[in-house]
Amino acid sequence: MKKSEWSDKQLEELLRQMPKIHDHRNPRDIYQNLSIKKRKRSAWIIPGIATAAALLLFFLLVPTMFDRTEYSLDRAVQEKVSKEEQKSLSQEDSSTLKEDSTKNETGISGTEQKMLMTSSDKTALYDDELGNGTVLTYWIPDSQAQILVPVSTVVQLDQNKNWLTAFIETMGLLKEEEWGLSDYYPLNATLTLDTTNNTVMVDVPINHKYGEGSASETKFIDSLKKNISSNSQVNKIMLTTNGQPGIEFGNFGEIKEIQVESEGKHAYFFYTPDGMETTYLVPTTDSYQNINAAFEAMKTEPLEMGLTASVVPSFSFKDIEIKENKLIITIDENAVMENNLENVYSLEAILLTAKGFGIDTVRLLNAPINSLGPFDLTKDIKVPLAPNYRPIQ
Amino acid sequence: MNSVFDELYQKYHHDVFQFLFYMVRNKEQAEDLVQEVYIRVFKSYHRFEGKSSEKTWLFSIARNVAIDSFRKQKGWKGRLLEKFDWSSSQVKDDYPIPEEIMIHKEEIKRIYQCLEHCTVDQRSVVILRFLNDLSITETAEALGWTEGKVKTTQHRAIKVLKKHMEMFNEKEGLDSEEVRVER
Repeated sequence: MKKSEWSDKQLEELLRQMPKIHDHRNPRDIYQNLSIKKRKRSAWIIPGIATAAALLLFFLLVPTMFDRTEYSLDRAVQEKVSKEEQKSLSQEDSSTLKEDSTKNETGISGTEQKMLMTSSDKTALYDDELGNGTVLTYWIPDSQAQILVPVSTVVQLDQNKNWLTAFIETMGLLKEEEWGLSDYYPLNATLTLDTTNNTVMVDVPINHKYGEGSASETKFIDSLKKNISSNSQVNKIMLTTNGQPGIEFGNFGEIKEIQVESEGKHAYFFYTPDGMETTYLVPTTDSYQNINAAFEAMKTEPLEMGLTASVVPSFSFKDIEIKENKLIITIDENAVMENNLENVYSLEAILLTAKGFGIDTVRLLNAPINSLGPFDLTKDIKVPLAPNYRPIQ
Repeated sequence: MNSVFDELYQKYHHDVFQFLFYMVRNKEQAEDLVQEVYIRVFKSYHRFEGKSSEKTWLFSIARNVAIDSFRKQKGWKGRLLEKFDWSSSQVKDDYPIPEEIMIHKEEIKRIYQCLEHCTVDQRSVVILRFLNDLSITETAEALGWTEGKVKTTQHRAIKVLKKHMEMFNEKEGLDSEEVRVER
């Protein structure tokens, strides 16, 4: 038997004999499975969309996360720096440090926004507003008792009143808290003027609080000096406690008299109290050699707490020249200046600073705009009489 | 239930299933693939123009489904390996002989195993022609070939089968050789 040799026919026959294979499933089940499978096919779409959304979120979130870390780093560095500076200032109350440095930052961004929103106006007091009144300037501590803010007002002086009487009378009318500053006046002291010795006598009661803590001592002495120097020609303050010479201060010991030097040669910066829209122009405690150094300092953030740069980039000076009592500032040709409140304040800070250096008028050359708020930039601008005018009714 | 499905099921389900079974040589897989055939049929039923008969149209779909499943089985890994390993260029399956075949006589088992050695094209022709009883013309229509190509492929397939059937005999047919010697 040639079992191994297959003819084509035999093979075909064999193939035809191969068993019929049947699908034993119920057709209903098959149909049911069909629809399931159909749905299954599109099942990958949902995870696909989810993945795409996740990726999108990822790419959106990651850059903001980076930003945030950088920001907080920045912040940390700033805080550190300001702390160190604060330490060098030594006499400040250290407990308020941290709070204040954070407030400092909110103040910066705050001022810029607010300035664009409110209508343009000036802050200082000028010749034309004075009439026949007398200017009184009060140095009021800010809400954190870190800096002294000069606030000026106008009073009518009678023949028989001297400036100190007016000063004492008006002291009680100040609305410090309404202005975003701390309630400091009236002083718990009796002030009398000794015209023959050109001296102001300051008498405090025994239970006075001015000697408690380094901050309040400094504020008391500084505010007295500044109040007297900016309102009069008096050059000496005599201190007494309940009629006895000298006031006992915790840190300074007993002080009997203070010499008053004339104010001046300071740089003015912006200060905005927390939660307020007002901007004050506040001078630094340090004085500057010349006006150039002062202007240069005003472009950057000052060391003192709560103050912000007052010479905004739109005031880019090309040249500064002083002719007698006139300051001529040449503005860079490429400077862009908008007629907004921030620029008005900046100009006023420049004017006030110039006043400290003995300047009477300021002239801007090459100014990109002709008028800025109430100022006509094509003419000489007179320096203000006093900063931060607040009328009192 | 869908009337189209009903009709197709009644007329062709078992033929299509049989074809797929012998193509992939696994019952479970054939069950999955027959579903796939229906899905494709429903997707393109509106495009069916009646140029060819419904039967050959179904078979051509079934064949494509089977070929796709071979590709999928190999996956990208398999395809990559194949590039480096020329010896295994033929798709081999490791499935054991299904129960349905096991219960039949020896020759059936052997020819089932020999079918494995045919190419996909050859196998398609053999199954369509002899198991599904399609004519040459119908087979040509289902495969989209000319009748001549069907004939030559069929011829070659038979040759391959014959060769392997004989190899089987040689391997285990020592006694039959001996018988020859004795004669």
